[in-house]
Parts: sequence; C-alpha cells; structure tokens
Amino acid sequence: MKIIEATNVSKAYKIPHEKKTTLFENLCGLMDSKTGYETFTALKDINFSVKKGEWLGIIGHNGSGKSTLLKLIANTIRPTEGDILVNGKITSFLELGIGFQPDLTAKENIEIYGSIMGLSDHDIRDRIDDILEFGGLTRFKDTKIKNFSSGMVVRLAFSTAIQIEPEILLLDEVLAVGDLDFQKKCFEVFENYKKMDKTVVYVSHDLSSVVQFCDRVLLLNHGKQVGIGDTEEMIGLYQSLA
Amino acid sequence: MIRNLWEYRCLVKRLAISDFKIRYKNSILGFFWSLLEPLLLLLVLYIVFAYAFPSTQENYHLFLLIGIVLWDFFTKGTSMGLNSIIGKPGMIRQVYIPREVLIFSSSLTALMMAVLELGVFFIFMAVSRVIPTSTIIYFPVIFIILFMLIFGSSLAIGALNTYYRDVQYIWAVVLQAGFFASGIFFDISTYPEYIKNILLLNPVARIILISRESLLYNATVPMWDLAFCFASSIMILIVGYLIFIKLEPGFAEEV
Repeated sequence: MKIIEATNVSKAYKIPHEKKTTLFENLCGLMDSKTGYETFTALKDINFSVKKGEWLGIIGHNGSGKSTLLKLIANTIRPTEGDILVNGKITSFLELGIGFQPDLTAKENIEIYGSIMGLSDHDIRDRIDDILEFGGLTRFKDTKIKNFSSGMVVRLAFSTAIQIEPEILLLDEVLAVGDLDFQKKCFEVFENYKKMDKTVVYVSHDLSSVVQFCDRVLLLNHGKQVGIGDTEEMIGLYQSLA
Repeated sequence: MIRNLWEYRCLVKRLAISDFKIRYKNSILGFFWSLLEPLLLLLVLYIVFAYAFPSTQENYHLFLLIGIVLWDFFTKGTSMGLNSIIGKPGMIRQVYIPREVLIFSSSLTALMMAVLELGVFFIFMAVSRVIPTSTIIYFPVIFIILFMLIFGSSLAIGALNTYYRDVQYIWAVVLQAGFFASGIFFDISTYPEYIKNILLLNPVARIILISRESLLYNATVPMWDLAFCFASSIMILIVGYLIFIKLEPGFAEEV
C-alpha cells in the first residue's frame, strides 16, 4: 500500500525584487509596473512513492530542496504543480519544541506540544510523568521554561516528541542539534520505530545513519531528482556528484 | 472546517487556555488589571456623560458598562485574531495543523475574558438592584451571535494580515471609528430614523442595542433585529472563511 505518493511535484518560489509586505506597498506596486519578481524553482518534477513501513531517505547537497520536499509532504506549503497524496496522519519532526511558550511551565508546555503532535488529552495525562522523568526534569515541572537552559529545553522537547505514536514520521536533521548522548537516544527511538513498522521520511547529511535505517534513498541535486533506489547505490552517486 | 476544529479540539482548548494564562500570569494582579481597563473607561465615560452632558438614560452606568463589555469582546477578539497567524510562525512553518485552529482558539481566549467581564457586569447589576426578567433568555443567543461575528472577522483579517501587514493599522482605525459609531455611550434608538437605520447596519451596534433591551429594559427583542444580527454574522463568517481558504496555502511562505 502506498502511503505517500508524489507525482510530478514542482515548487517555485517567487522572489520579488522588493518584498512587499503591506497593502500600501502593493497598491504602489500596481502603478509601477517595472518592479517584478523572479521565480526560483526549488523542486522540479519529483516522482516517488513510499510504502507502508518503509524508510525513505532523502539526501543531497545544501539547497537541493530536501527540506522543501519535506514541507510539501507535511502540507505546510503547497506544490506549484503536481500532487502529493498522503494516506495517514503525519507527524513532522522538523524542529524540536514548536510552540513552546517561555512564559508557561514545563508541564503546560508539554501539554501544548503534545497536542500539536497529536496526542490526546488522556495520553498526555498518562505520560506526563514519564516525559518529565525521561528528560530528567521532574524537579522543574512547575518552572517556567524561560528559566531553563537551552539543553533542558531540548531535552524537554525530545522526551515529549518520542511519546508520539506516529503513523508517518518526517525527520529533518534531528541529529544535528544534540550531543553524542542525545544521538544515541535518537537511534534507540529510531530502532523502535523500525520495529513498529512505521513509515518514515528521513532527511540527513549523516550518511552512516542513512545507511543504517533507510530502505531506499531519493537523491536530489539543485531541485532535480537524480535518482531513487538502493541506498548504497544512491550514496555512491551522491559522492560522485561533488 | 468544523471537522478540523473538532479533530483538533484538544489543541484548540490548550491554546485558548494557555494564551489566557499568559495574559495574566506575569502579575498576580494580572486578572484585575485586565478588568481595570474597561472599568476605567466606564468611569471616564460615566463622568463625561452623566455630569458634563447629562444623559436621561435609566441606569446609565449599566447601560454604559454592557456596551463597553460587548465592544471590548469584539475589540479583543478581533485584535487577537489579527495576530493569531503571524504571532505563531513556528506552528505555521514547522508543523501542519489546520490553521483555523489558531484563529478559533484566539476567539475562544477572548470569549473567556469576555465572560469574566460579564461577571463584573452582573455584579454591578446586582449591586444596583436591577433584576433581569425573563427577557434575559435572549442574551445568550445574542452573545453567541457576537462570537460568530468575531470568529468570522478574525478569519478574514487574520489571513489578510499575514499577507499585508498594514491591515493591523487599518483595523485599528476601523475599531476606533466603531467605538464611536456603535452606540456604546449613547442610545442609537433615540436618533432620527435615517441616522438610526444607517448606524444599525453595523451588526455590533445592533447587538449592543438589543443586549440592553434584553438585560436592562425588559423588552422583548424584535425577531427582525435578532434575524438581522444572525444573518450578518453568518455572512461575515462565510466571507471570512472564503478569504481564509483562498489565502491559507501561502501562510508558511508569508508568515
């Protein structure tokens, strides 16, 4: 069964010569026909599909369109052309700690972050102690997170995020932020997801983790699809690109 | 949209409550400060209109206060709706949640604040020994209509403000004009017919007028007025929704 299917997906961004953010500027722009915009094609003609339980890796140089593709799958931005069909509920792990409010306590932030990630009230109530304990933050549960160190915030976000039971998971460079210990914890969680047959789209520059987890790899270069297929083969192709 | 809001009801609830808390949390007196603002406005308007230009209105302080409370609900609700998308860029760019969730929860936060202010109004009413009669049953209906109006307007201006940041300044002017045009400190129904008809095209003015009738003057609210308010808020809700879905796909790029 195909969980994600992309057909002829393209995404172009308009880059105005002058960014107009107000109605006033837009009205002025109507009179002045010279100021236009250029289009920047971030992705062109991407075709792939992901089966249930599959890990698809996306690799490519910086600016090749990996994150754009992930955002398109997540539905935060929409393709200029083509379609992306998704069967199931997506949890995106593009950034840790979305929606954290500095003026709320750790406990309250877990509740909000949990519900953004799609946990029900009931699940959150059941797991809140586990989450705090996993992050080693039980003592600070009623502390406002503006008083947390950045490491504590990351731990809080991570321990909340791993509680989710995603159907489809999008991972973007999650390893980049943490230290070794954090990466080890991440890998444990990934192993778990693999065992549970979760469908994952994984973007990373860390090729060893791509080899370790991904069943297939999509290689992008300057917004174009170079190839999709066997992990080792694509990584070889990627290294020859440079 | 309704299905989305229902599916994300946990998040709607959490966001509404947390925004509510954030508004008050930094000071123990935060909650009282928020009530102080409408009360001070009440005091100023009362002094001006009860002494400087005596108003013949029975229970003028209650007349004023309910106008202020309802107008405050509209002002706060739409102002929070205006910033609900651009104020949470992380939730727009990094995850997908149906964006109407953010706007709806901001309207709910305003609703919670308005209920508190209404509480104060009822205390004033009790102290002044004004006992509402059976016509009070109209009020919850009117209040819900006002909420729909706020949510509908927020959908439109919240979405527009994401694309055009000066919508917030334009809206501030609209609100200021509305304060004077909505019959908050005067009684529209005493005006000549043609002025009255023009002023009452504004649904908020009509809502304030009929709220007073139901709460303070024991008057049966004419079905026509109720129907007008209901129809105009439904219309604004539909137009707001259409603007919203037209602009929603580009939110992550514009926010």
